[in-house]
Amino acid sequence: MIQLEHISKRFGRRLAVQDLSLEVPRGEIYGLLGHNGAGKSTAIGIMLGQVWPSGGRVRICGHEVTRDRGRALSKVGAIFESPAFYDYLSGWRNLEILSSYTRPTPPGRIREIIEWVGLSGREHSKVRTYSHGMRARLALAQTLLPEPELLILDEPSDGLDPEGIHEMRQTILRLHREMGLTILLSSHFLNEVEQLCGRIAVLSQGKKVFEGSLAETRHRESRVRLDTPDFAGAAGQLRAAGLIRDAVPDGNILLLNGGVETHQVVRFLVERGFAVNGIAREQRTLEDFYLSLMETERGGKRPVGGAAAWPAN
Amino acid sequence: MFYHPLRNELLKLFGKKRTYIGFGAFLLGQNAMLLAFRFTRWQEHMERLLRGNGYLAEEYVSALTVAVVMLIPQVILLMPLYAALVGGDLVAKEAEDGTLRMILARPISRFRLLLAKWVAGIIFSASLVLVLGVTALIFARIWFPWRGMFVFAPGMVFNVFSPADGLKLYVWSHLLMTLNASVILALAFMFSCFNMKPAAATILALSYLFVNLVVEGIPFFEAYHEWLLPYHFRCWLLVYADPIAWDRIIGSVVVLVAANLTAFLIGQAAFQARDIKS
Repeated sequence: MIQLEHISKRFGRRLAVQDLSLEVPRGEIYGLLGHNGAGKSTAIGIMLGQVWPSGGRVRICGHEVTRDRGRALSKVGAIFESPAFYDYLSGWRNLEILSSYTRPTPPGRIREIIEWVGLSGREHSKVRTYSHGMRARLALAQTLLPEPELLILDEPSDGLDPEGIHEMRQTILRLHREMGLTILLSSHFLNEVEQLCGRIAVLSQGKKVFEGSLAETRHRESRVRLDTPDFAGAAGQLRAAGLIRDAVPDGNILLLNGGVETHQVVRFLVERGFAVNGIAREQRTLEDFYLSLMETERGGKRPVGGAAAWPAN
Repeated sequence: MFYHPLRNELLKLFGKKRTYIGFGAFLLGQNAMLLAFRFTRWQEHMERLLRGNGYLAEEYVSALTVAVVMLIPQVILLMPLYAALVGGDLVAKEAEDGTLRMILARPISRFRLLLAKWVAGIIFSASLVLVLGVTALIFARIWFPWRGMFVFAPGMVFNVFSPADGLKLYVWSHLLMTLNASVILALAFMFSCFNMKPAAATILALSYLFVNLVVEGIPFFEAYHEWLLPYHFRCWLLVYADPIAWDRIIGSVVVLVAANLTAFLIGQAAFQARDIKS
């Protein structure tokens, strides 16, 4: 559904996006992560034909955006961080106006979508009277009009309260499950991405630094928690034997070298007289993975202890 | 395919309270002018002017005469300000509010969107001038009888007409005023297509007109008046001259239409090239 091939974008001297390639297949929920200014919104702008790329090719739904924007976006819906509306018009009128830029939508379809997002009864009130949550629902409604196959969501939960965030998450899942939509989700909420997305790409300073499935992020590094009375001694011997790359005494975490399994570690330690009370593989969260990746990109030391091991910036 | 974008622009334009506040300001201005004419020495002065030139003052101090008197300051001061305000908002306000991004996430082309906005601006200019003309006539008629028309603009026009001829010319002059308003609106619209705040677009358009006026007032530039917009804006008054200088009016109309189109095309080019970002 989305194909970016070697996209770059320069704003003056600043290179906002560098040689970005990614592919989002039909039916997937794909996460786009990155720090502020990483180039996520610019990449989304390029996908929607709002930002002209300095180089590369963008194809949406099989059509090149820069040459055939009309066809490329005919089946696309988008939500931006803090969605904007004509506050002096009613919700209904806003939906009518925005959807007509794709194609005129019959009132029956507008009513159906209003009911789906739970705005019934307030559709004829002026948007300025809407709460933040209602505006988010209206944004979702306009995205679903007329009938998109691809949704591009740029920080859709931004500014919502915890209930609103939960509701938005459930809605995205419903859209994927019930309507079979392909969704590109750019978000700062890592747990949201973790719960929704099958694959992710991480951008840092305009470059893609990771692309893969969530399973890959969990198993990219083997971390184990070792329960032994002499953690420092055990870690020293394991490091000398080349079985681990690093150790964090706070939490008794070991970072195993590639191909090393926990039973090898236990056998090694027991043979050398260390008492091993327990060993458990640690499940890495997306947050751990993301922070580790960002630190690596910044040229710092790779953390092994998760978010808690990080000093505040 | 053009109907819906145009309808949307008109819904947005006429859905704003600000639009009607502007119309309200015009009505207030007109009534202030009317009262000033009725209750100061202004009316006496006009009667003296008519008598001094051999006309019966009672015949020509009429609703049509007063309607034109009421219009002149509004056309010079309020109309450019208001047209530039609306024109400056057309694109820049949407960009500032974020609604432009919402629209451009849809498959509409930038050209068609701007064309719809520009045409909506022209329709708005026409409605503005129509309301201005009709209300001036209605308010003037409340206080003054329906008789002959007298139009006086120093150095340009001194003429009297029968009520029927006067009304016909009044309509003609409003058609030309529509063109003036749409040119001012197109200028602000053009600036608004660049990456700037709505207020900046309005100020730039008004500044451009102001510079034109200043340059026109400098004797050195007398030979270059035809290059300046205010010279052509005055063509609406020329329909009241005797004989009507059609060649000059047609020339001005061509220049104004060309200025309008040029502003639109420059705006289009700037808008096509720009990145739309939050």
